[in-house]
Amino acid sequence: MHKLKAIMIKDWHINKKSLLIPFWITAGFYVFILLSIAFAYFKGDMNINMIDLDTGPPVPVINYIVNMAILGLPGLMSILFIIMLTQNALNEDIKKNCELFHRSQPVSIWFRTGSKYLMGIAGNWAIMLIIALFNFLVINTILAIFHQFDFYSAFNGMILSSISFMKTGLIIGSITFFFSAVFKDKAFFQGFAILLGVQFLFLIVNTMLNWNLPLPLTYLFKLIKLNPMEGLENDVASLDIRNHISMVWNSILFNWKTLIQLAFSGSLFIGATWIYKNKEIK
Amino acid sequence: MNVAEVKNLTKYYGKLKALDGITLNIPQGRIIGLLGKNGAGKSTFMRCLLGFLKHKGDITILNETIKSHKESIHEHIAFIPDVSSLDDRLTVQQTIDYVASLNQSWNAEKAQQLLAGSDLPLNKKVANLSKGMKTKLYLLITLSLNVKILLLDEPTLGLDIVFRKEFFNTILGDFYDESKTIIISTHQVEEVEQILQDIIFIDKGKMILFEDVEELKKKHSIFTVPSDKIEELEKHKPKLITKTLGHVSAILNSEIKIENAQINKPSLSDLFMEKVGGSNA
Repeated sequence: MHKLKAIMIKDWHINKKSLLIPFWITAGFYVFILLSIAFAYFKGDMNINMIDLDTGPPVPVINYIVNMAILGLPGLMSILFIIMLTQNALNEDIKKNCELFHRSQPVSIWFRTGSKYLMGIAGNWAIMLIIALFNFLVINTILAIFHQFDFYSAFNGMILSSISFMKTGLIIGSITFFFSAVFKDKAFFQGFAILLGVQFLFLIVNTMLNWNLPLPLTYLFKLIKLNPMEGLENDVASLDIRNHISMVWNSILFNWKTLIQLAFSGSLFIGATWIYKNKEIK
Repeated sequence: MNVAEVKNLTKYYGKLKALDGITLNIPQGRIIGLLGKNGAGKSTFMRCLLGFLKHKGDITILNETIKSHKESIHEHIAFIPDVSSLDDRLTVQQTIDYVASLNQSWNAEKAQQLLAGSDLPLNKKVANLSKGMKTKLYLLITLSLNVKILLLDEPTLGLDIVFRKEFFNTILGDFYDESKTIIISTHQVEEVEQILQDIIFIDKGKMILFEDVEELKKKHSIFTVPSDKIEELEKHKPKLITKTLGHVSAILNSEIKIENAQINKPSLSDLFMEKVGGSNA
């Protein structure tokens, strides 16, 4: 395993700048808010008003929704950076003319692709989770000071939202990783364009011949689609947030769809490695 | 003892035959030059040896059959394409650590010794190194690996003459011993001529010759006669007659006798021109 560790350290050195960009964006965001608060404070316009929250939905619901929402920016950034990193995963060494140098090392190709896959996907997950945890501490401290704090709802809100983004990132990242084994450049856009082409072709064929060919993008969207807010309105009305949380755990993680998503992602990783392994290096 | 055996190696790029039925045995403990024009098939041959390219024919290296690339062979074989193939995104220290961690044959003591004697900036990115510095880094990595075979594919491409000389002198002085085999592919034969023991001429994918350098030089001589005696050379049917001021020269079998001819030892590039022809050796 020390070889895998060595490769992961190398990949970390190569990718750390890209991986850490979400930190800087978040830091910039916080600096902007702090400056705004300081500006308002010194101008005497500081007015924190939580009265609306007191007359709104119950505390656990507010905590749940707020803590889901704090994942919005880091979650979207995570998916964006997963695409950026994985679309270069298996073709960048070739573009940079150092593929032969890396291939001439006595290490399994599965370790090499595994490290790139982990760096592209799990690396971004880790960054997202660290930012999420920081947001969680900041937002819930504010909620606890100025309103009320319910740990169960808040923590579940954050975790469930994180899992949704992680799963979406896993599937999109695996697809892009696969494309990086096939295409030399702009793998995500080239792969997506082909899928779009096939989608339209099948749509036309289905319409004209009354066939029922499976539509690739429709299937992918179905596979990716996760909505932790689904059914929330009804549960809020019945004040049953705990029921809602347990339902969301089942709909997001503990079901067959998760197994299909994992199998799909794993197959793409294996397929990508196989293509990459059999590529001739000129 | 042979470290590699190649039988009828053929490689196509589409319809282009890049290698055409090459058969040879590579003995242990020799420094072998692979000489050919640009596009003759030298790089293709090396990449096929390591399984980087799909090919027809049989290749065995260190008793392992090579059908496709096997990472395990790199425990015993180091391959240097050219110095610009290092990963530009890593620093010098990161590159050394990376190679050291992956190779069991890494000699940390030697690496430390070589590093102490160099002025390599450890925290600088490889991208920001000069070609000379990259050469030093590549040498440090290569010489710290205790491998049985070293394959150098145009290793000094783009380097100036000082670094080219330094590269080969260091390889010879610090790496080579009689248990190790070095194969150097180049089209700048003058720089490696002094260190080569065997030579392979390759042209249009075919192996033209594989011989001991000293034997080859002994067998041939350059015969120079005045221009008006050109027929003296022509009757021995040389492949190439070169004209100089008032004289003509040709490489012929050393046993031939030509009256009043000036006789000189040929260089490898002279022999290459004679065997292969062309002007790009």
